[in-house]
Amino acid sequence: MIRLPVNYQIAATYLSSKVKQTIVAVLGVTFGISMYVFMNSFMSGVNLAQNRLAFSTLAHVRIYNDRPADRSDLVSRVYPAGTIANIRNSKVIKYTDGIKNSTEIIHYLHTIPIVQTVAPEVNINVFFKNVGNKVNGTLSGVDVTNEDQLFQMSQLMDQGRWRDLAVRPDGIIVGVELAKNLSLKVDDNLNILTADGVSHTYKVIGIFRTNLSSIDKTKAYLSITATRQLLAENQDYVTDIQVNVTDFKLANQLVHELAPILSYKVESWSMANAQLEAGSNLRDVIAVAVSLTILIVAGFGIYNIMLMTINEKIREIAILKAMGFSGFDIRRIFLTMSSVIGLVGGFVGMGLGYLVSRLVNQVPFNVAGLATLPMDYDPRDYILAFSFGLVTTFVAGYFPSRKASRIDPVTIIRG
Amino acid sequence: METPNTRQRGQESPTILKVDRIVKYFDEPEKFQVLKDVSFSARKGEFLALVGKSGSGKSTLLYVLSTMDTDYEGSLVINDERMTGKTQNELSAFRNRHIGFVFQFHYLLPEFTVLQNVMIPALKLRRLSRPEIEAKAYSHLETLGLKDQALKLTSKLSGGQQQRVAIARALINDPSIIMGDEPTGNLDSKNSQTVFDIFRDIVGQGHQTIIAVTHDEDFAANCDRVLELSDGRLVK
Repeated sequence: MIRLPVNYQIAATYLSSKVKQTIVAVLGVTFGISMYVFMNSFMSGVNLAQNRLAFSTLAHVRIYNDRPADRSDLVSRVYPAGTIANIRNSKVIKYTDGIKNSTEIIHYLHTIPIVQTVAPEVNINVFFKNVGNKVNGTLSGVDVTNEDQLFQMSQLMDQGRWRDLAVRPDGIIVGVELAKNLSLKVDDNLNILTADGVSHTYKVIGIFRTNLSSIDKTKAYLSITATRQLLAENQDYVTDIQVNVTDFKLANQLVHELAPILSYKVESWSMANAQLEAGSNLRDVIAVAVSLTILIVAGFGIYNIMLMTINEKIREIAILKAMGFSGFDIRRIFLTMSSVIGLVGGFVGMGLGYLVSRLVNQVPFNVAGLATLPMDYDPRDYILAFSFGLVTTFVAGYFPSRKASRIDPVTIIRG
Repeated sequence: METPNTRQRGQESPTILKVDRIVKYFDEPEKFQVLKDVSFSARKGEFLALVGKSGSGKSTLLYVLSTMDTDYEGSLVINDERMTGKTQNELSAFRNRHIGFVFQFHYLLPEFTVLQNVMIPALKLRRLSRPEIEAKAYSHLETLGLKDQALKLTSKLSGGQQQRVAIARALINDPSIIMGDEPTGNLDSKNSQTVFDIFRDIVGQGHQTIIAVTHDEDFAANCDRVLELSDGRLVK
């Protein structure tokens, strides 16, 4: 402090002589910044958890053969309006089932740099029958390795091992609630009835749990070759190609790249589940709104304290000016004070925010596969909070300090 | 004391301050001419008293001379430098270097020690290093009999002591002119005499000029020259 230029020394003395007031101002910033850090960490933790949950059953991009557009009213396209036509029971016929040339498409997908994993699937609707119990659901024939890479299936296994599916053409892995509804255990038999009336019995070799009950209740996995056999289809037959990209935010980019060159429906996760994106955006908005509000309140606190200090010291400011301090010097004194408050509050606030985040991260929360409340520790949140804090205190200090710099010493000293 | 000797020296010395036809108006509560064509000059080493009834404009004139009040007509020259028309920043730098102030109330900074108060104008000027400034501040405090008080907060001092600290502060940058706005106005007669004697010693060295507004007739009577204002005009 002894070495500082005199303006800073005066600022330091003013700050240290009114310790309580300074602490209150610092606490205001500290609270604002720690709340900013905590709210944003929590919200992005929730978003990440939500995404992890969503992407445990949802690929970033899905390619499938959509139902063709409704063209049953062909007559009116060809004949002039007013032509009377009598067509009854018109049907839309799907000429091809599944994706043709799937091998080439998969091969092409692998050449795109942002593509991470490609998993072909054969999905069909079936009845699951265990003697008297009958439940309809989805049977997924999957490429065991790639499906595991895509959805971490091996980590979702309650019982049995995921990779056994690759070597057990007779094996089936079922959802935990489906197993319960059909009273199935590992090694029990499960009969499948397809829409075409084919019936086949498999052995339950594993039970999985995604924590999404719509999946756990209705889904079962076979190996993709076994499914093709069941449907009597060729070894190229695929109904869906699930693709993961390096970052889920790049999904739409891939869609734009693929849609023009593939004759199949290419759909990103956000198109299929707009509510996911809306939810995460809304949470971000709430986090920013709440924390900015707190920072602004803290800013007004500083503004108030600075104004009080300046009113208290108006004579001293006048006397400093009489002794040769310029308006610029005076402004610098008070801006230094508010900046120090901002800096100290910022550093303490980041620390406190981290502590609060750590604490809340310990709170048990046993819902949907979570053990504790989710939390994200992103340095960018901390840097942003710190910069917002500095900007707020600077603005809150700027106007009072400008007022101080404009004080006319003559009017004050003459009284 | 007013002696022929000091008078003579004052007249021989060069002019340090010159005002020419200063006119000033107050706009509130209604337009009112407070200074009317005031012209005079002060010489180096002179001890001037500015007297007049309250409302005569003597304090107003002092603040014009101090360069703090820039809202006037006419011209002000200090140290052969024309003050009229300079910017506020130039003026504050000039005040820092060339003008010292002693007010009726000491106007010390209560959160700083006596030593710091004395050092602040010099720290602002940055002509000397900090240890040099500190040594100088100590020597001024010693001259004024305040060396023991140097590390106390100014609020712990008596009125007379505070005023002496203010004088030490005014002297720290070796200003050409020291201006006083009723420097003894708030002091008892003993302390008034002390302050007067200090001022007398300062001008006695011949380098510095003192211009003081005062109500105190004894104080005025013992100055080198008395300027009397009446209704905004210099009558003596």
